[in-house]
Amino acid sequence: MIISFWRYSHLALAVSSFLFILTASLTGIILAFEPIQQEIESPVFAVEEINTATLITSLKDNYLEVFGVKVDNYHRVSASVITEDGDMAEFYINPATGEKVGDIAQESSVFQFARSLHRSLFLKTTGRFFVGLTSFFLLIISITGLVLLLKRQQGLKNIFSSIIKENFYQYGHVYLGRIFLIPIVIISFSGVYLSLFQFNILNHAIFNAEIDLEKIQASPEISIAEFPIFKNTPVSKVKAIEFPFSTEVSDYYLVELQDRNLAVNQFTGAILDEDQSSVTNQIWQYSYVLHTGEGNLIWAFVLLLSCVSILFFIYSGFKITLKRKASKIKNKFKQADCTHLILVGSETGSTLSFAVWFQQELIKQGKKTFIAQMNEFSYHKNLQHLIVFTATYGVGEPPTNATKFETKLKSIEFINKINYSVLGFGSFAYPDFCKFAYTTENLLDQKNNADCFLSLHTINNKSEESFNRWLAQWGSLSELNFPKFEGELLSEKRKKKTYQVVNKTPILANHHTFMVELKSVKKQNLKSGDLLAVSPGENHHDRLYSLGVSSANTILLSVKLHENGVCSTYLNNLNVGDLVQASRLKNKSFYFPKKAKKVIMIATGTGIAPFLGMITHNTKKNPVDLYWGARDHKALTHYQAIINSAMENDRLERFIPVYSREDKKHYVQNQLRENIPQIVELFKNGGVIMICGSIFMQQEVLALLTEICEDNALKSLSAYQNKGQLLMDCY
Amino acid sequence: MKKYIINTLAVCLTVFALLAFTSPKEENNADTATVKCLLQLKNYTGKKPYVVVSIVDKDEKYQQTLYVQGQDEEWYNTIKEWYAQLGKDGGENIDAISGATINPGARAVIAFEIPTDKIGGDYKLRFESAVEDQEYYKKDLEVAITKENLKGKFDGTGYIRYVRLIAN
Repeated sequence: MIISFWRYSHLALAVSSFLFILTASLTGIILAFEPIQQEIESPVFAVEEINTATLITSLKDNYLEVFGVKVDNYHRVSASVITEDGDMAEFYINPATGEKVGDIAQESSVFQFARSLHRSLFLKTTGRFFVGLTSFFLLIISITGLVLLLKRQQGLKNIFSSIIKENFYQYGHVYLGRIFLIPIVIISFSGVYLSLFQFNILNHAIFNAEIDLEKIQASPEISIAEFPIFKNTPVSKVKAIEFPFSTEVSDYYLVELQDRNLAVNQFTGAILDEDQSSVTNQIWQYSYVLHTGEGNLIWAFVLLLSCVSILFFIYSGFKITLKRKASKIKNKFKQADCTHLILVGSETGSTLSFAVWFQQELIKQGKKTFIAQMNEFSYHKNLQHLIVFTATYGVGEPPTNATKFETKLKSIEFINKINYSVLGFGSFAYPDFCKFAYTTENLLDQKNNADCFLSLHTINNKSEESFNRWLAQWGSLSELNFPKFEGELLSEKRKKKTYQVVNKTPILANHHTFMVELKSVKKQNLKSGDLLAVSPGENHHDRLYSLGVSSANTILLSVKLHENGVCSTYLNNLNVGDLVQASRLKNKSFYFPKKAKKVIMIATGTGIAPFLGMITHNTKKNPVDLYWGARDHKALTHYQAIINSAMENDRLERFIPVYSREDKKHYVQNQLRENIPQIVELFKNGGVIMICGSIFMQQEVLALLTEICEDNALKSLSAYQNKGQLLMDCY
Repeated sequence: MKKYIINTLAVCLTVFALLAFTSPKEENNADTATVKCLLQLKNYTGKKPYVVVSIVDKDEKYQQTLYVQGQDEEWYNTIKEWYAQLGKDGGENIDAISGATINPGARAVIAFEIPTDKIGGDYKLRFESAVEDQEYYKKDLEVAITKENLKGKFDGTGYIRYVRLIAN
């Protein structure tokens, strides 16, 4: 398993306690309604303005005998009395007049049931123990979650900067985590604190008035209304008052205020004894209110939402875990017998799936291959090829399973010559893209008897295309023939829809490109930039095409026919009227920006398709420049009409074709270099750059943009990407 | 799974809506004496005790429950003798005569009504107490129901330090 300590704790605790957490949050959802209901139903009295003397005298006037008064967290005042009819009763009163305003409603059975389940799972002491422990686990899960969040967002400063989206569950998990982390920490901490009282680890300090009975005086007697302590204390400060048990002078008023306890002489009003509430009691009080939401409608609502969010965390957490657990390290041969060694440095294990696949392919080719984590690196003299697949973590640091690599490598001497190749995995959205891979290559460079077989190749966002390009190079150097890596077979999971071919251009000589126009049989809301996954039949991998939406709301696909391309051949063989099964994938991260002062579109070859759709629908006439790279002007044939029409309608400001075999004979990146001031201005003014086309072009353009950012004292390119000023869709 | 959660939630909310706003009522009978009682607990280490005040006759047979300190029915069976004779069959409306438990060392003023025909007869007032996982006291405190006793102070033998009684 390749997971860090934090991630492991986060996962292990979540897995071991999820059933309890599930129960607690479901019952928590129900219980959150109690304070909401109480708050709505409670009559409101101005308890801040009524003083305790008024409360006590009005009660004494109204009833034969008063036992005590309580003020709850909703500021409802209840009294326990003997009424004029001689009946014992406890009910809510108006604190100003002492009159009964309502019965103390018995808690409804639903809440009783939910509370019992929430507190003890109907298992009494054992259950309470588990609930307390679960609460503690939840606290640790939240704290480890916070650490993971800080690592992911690269520090406290960036905690609210945008999240890099890998998939819905991961995004939701992080996004909601950011919002609900604090409430959940509060819920779990207060839960733990309250449980500690259940197990007598902490105890409520009891106020026992210590009174010198001989010194108690019954005089000078003054009326209760004149007792300074009662006159100066508003009812809102009171939690409970116990009335003197009898008229003996040794019996007194026992007053519990928010912050202290008092014993008050019933005749003179003198304070006989006083005690500040202990810190433990005060924290208990806060924990209770924060855990239950009593007395605060908004907080109760936050608690409700937090409970719902926990349900989502459980679900999305499992989804994420299941996705990541797909690959595991398995070795068929002893390392000492192996000529090939693959080392993997990966935090989440996504890099591992590439490595495992590569290992299997090498074994199929008859190469004894061993796979290990970078921290497990050891040398045996049979080693010929060392291949390192590594991600980068945080700010150019090694992933957790590669932290010891440097020291291990330094202690090793290669007895026989070895060849090494390093492959870096990362996301361009993070600064220090693949930095640790560069570090690794440098370290290997310095070793004796180690030759660089194929220099560092970087892979952005797990791009299979990019991996395959490296694979082809590595394969040709070692005279091996690898099949293409195609990742998971996803096609069955997607919902297929039927599309009809409404138009198809003939194939363009020398360029092997053609355009297909499809119309959805059922109505569908498509946007330029979405992807269309086409697969020619069962057991074939989907091919993804960026689509553009034409003026007639049909789908524009621009396709290059590959010699052995199953999918492009299939599309090329279609005729107008034929039906195609395909599925649409929303690609929100590549939509035309709703408001941007300026947009620069950069495309090569068939990558122009989504842009054609975008400019066609640019009804607000936002200024757009379109750079397009191709071999020669003939490649433009199919697109010319759409571009001309957009120019005429001011939907496209400038069209800059760049031909590699004509005119200046250069590439898009060369053309962009001539317009650096424009690009600088665009970044400064919140403009957007969109890139669609080959990975090669993307890498060149990104290198140029990085250079521009550095030379002109702009922010880092990834900062612009995170702000949505750099959108990419490359294959 | 998502659907399942939503469904569960919907069921929970419906049940809540149906039951949350309903609650039972209670009734009261006459010809009784109200007795005020100050209950002071000992300062021991442990959970809050459940305390039951009841009337027993000379044959130790329970006549009536006067007061129950503790509102969670799942613990009622810890007050073994009372539970066996009275508490189990549920013939009495305990909700009407129950109050919240109090911490060790704390005190509470409670009140209960003793039928006048039981005063001065051969009846005893029994305070029975229990703490889950700890000792059970069948006779934490017992006092004959007489006019004189209904104004006095009595020491307990279990969790109760003392009890003071006043009849109105």
